[in-house]
Amino acid sequence: MFNSLLKKVIRTASGRIRFIMAIIGLSIALLLIFSAVQIEMNYHDLLEGKTNQDSVANFLVINKVLNSKTLGSTTLQTNEIEKIKQQKFIDDVGILTPSRYKASVQSYSEMFPFYTEISFESVPASFIDVNNKDWKWDNQSNYIPMIAPNMFLDFYNFQFSLSQNLPQLTQEVVKMIVFKVNIHTPGGMVSFNGRVVGFSDRISSLLVPEEFMEWANQHYGSSQNNQPSRVIIRTKDPGNPELVQYLKDNNLVTDADKTRFSKYRQIVNAVVSISWVTGAVMFLFALLIFTLFIQLTIASCKEEIELLITLGASPFQLQRFLMRQFFPSNLLIIIISLIAVAALQFMLYNWLQVQHMFVNPFISLYTIITAFVILLVLWIVNFTTIRKYISLRNK
Amino acid sequence: MQLQINQVIPIPLKDKFSLRSSDIWNNNLTLQKGEQVKIKAPSGTGKTTLIHILYKIRMDYSGNVFYGNENTRSISGDSLAKYRQQNISIIFQDLRLFSNLTARENIELKRVMHTPFHDATIIDDMSDALGITSILDQRAGLCSYGEQQRIAIIRALMQPFDWLLMDEPFSHLDAENTKKAALMIQSECKKRNAGFLLTDLDEDDHFHYSKKLSL
Repeated sequence: MFNSLLKKVIRTASGRIRFIMAIIGLSIALLLIFSAVQIEMNYHDLLEGKTNQDSVANFLVINKVLNSKTLGSTTLQTNEIEKIKQQKFIDDVGILTPSRYKASVQSYSEMFPFYTEISFESVPASFIDVNNKDWKWDNQSNYIPMIAPNMFLDFYNFQFSLSQNLPQLTQEVVKMIVFKVNIHTPGGMVSFNGRVVGFSDRISSLLVPEEFMEWANQHYGSSQNNQPSRVIIRTKDPGNPELVQYLKDNNLVTDADKTRFSKYRQIVNAVVSISWVTGAVMFLFALLIFTLFIQLTIASCKEEIELLITLGASPFQLQRFLMRQFFPSNLLIIIISLIAVAALQFMLYNWLQVQHMFVNPFISLYTIITAFVILLVLWIVNFTTIRKYISLRNK
Repeated sequence: MQLQINQVIPIPLKDKFSLRSSDIWNNNLTLQKGEQVKIKAPSGTGKTTLIHILYKIRMDYSGNVFYGNENTRSISGDSLAKYRQQNISIIFQDLRLFSNLTARENIELKRVMHTPFHDATIIDDMSDALGITSILDQRAGLCSYGEQQRIAIIRALMQPFDWLLMDEPFSHLDAENTKKAALMIQSECKKRNAGFLLTDLDEDDHFHYSKKLSL
């Protein structure tokens, strides 16, 4: 009853147009801010979500740029590798160890004559995407397991076999073939049996287990240089512009195709930033208009408020009344903006699903947290403005 | 709650009262709860000023006023509002109604400002007694001074109080209505075991005053 009488005394209707403008401004501002948070979270989902994970894209082989200046000095020093490890966008670094002896591979079968000079590389097991119980070696082993790049087999099947009139081979067939692996040592040739146990797209060289690589380099290796020239890194986001910039700054290169997302990422970053800044600026203006609106309302009812206080209305009662006049509209705007962003998110989810990209159909927790923070800011601004101008009337 | 006035003198009247004595200005005075005090004084001696100082609307004075043991200079904001809702009610000389509210709304506003002391029906009873039933739903701004004064009197009686401050409360009323209003005030004060402080220009016998003072 008291409040309905206060409503008659304190007319909040003055400056209605300003109020509507403030509401529209605030709605757009919140929509932009929530969208910025949501886009950021969606991008995060796309990068880190299990369903979107692309095992190839997350592993990059890095080496120094080879040009006339760096010829012959492309080894990576220990401190350079340490520096790579310390970058926050790099999760793990594995050293690619090359074989330091001459080797060749040939087939035993007359049906399938085959010979090629070859070199091997090895990487720590955690960087290998072929899970095979045969991927181990000790000097009692009957054969050396190898992992071949898919590219090698494709090259054989779709180019070489056609030109040489040889049969095409499936992965399964290749895995059954036992090869002769020859290592050329100063004391003559040493032979082993070798078998391909898996194929991978991750590293484009013929891989052998680290144990074998270490043993063979120790026994047959010619070069004294133990420093690696290439490392493999694991990263959450190969498209991270920071990573691309880091590689550029340090004269390092990788498979450019894998970092192509960098450009998209920059565009997303720009969109998010613009959305943020525009949203924040609009939010500030909307806050300002709201503050002015509250000030105007209180100023236009100056005499009434003074008389109410004289008659015994407490500043607390008046503040509570005014908060009830102004704050619900803010709350409503936040709820409507959240619903709008949630609807957009659901539409985006459906649209991306068709393209086999998966984002969360619901808005993220961070978007909701942002809404709560903004709600708190609005409450504080409303409350302090009302308290300030009521206490001015209470003097 | 007792009212205590210690060496109070309004700054604008300082020169005037440094030369002559007064029952109140520059004096110590303690009013016990339930006392019915009349202050008679000619124009320009500060009757309204005194009421405003006691109600803490004016602060331009030297000396101190106490509500019980509390110096009014240290009371403000919500605690001042509490005194005005529970302990001290007022009838202003200039009435101070909300001109855009109806007579009933003006009274009701005061009734529901705190936990109501009276039922809503009392408004009709009192209005009937003072002869303003017909204008209850009329905007206060359109009422005559006499009607407005009666609205202001009823409004002041809507709350609990220990002291009722009245600044020439019957100035616009005829003898008949003054009598009715005084009876009503007397009865309401008795209900609350409250006292009052009334200022006027002349002698009167509206109440059985326990104290008569001059400024």
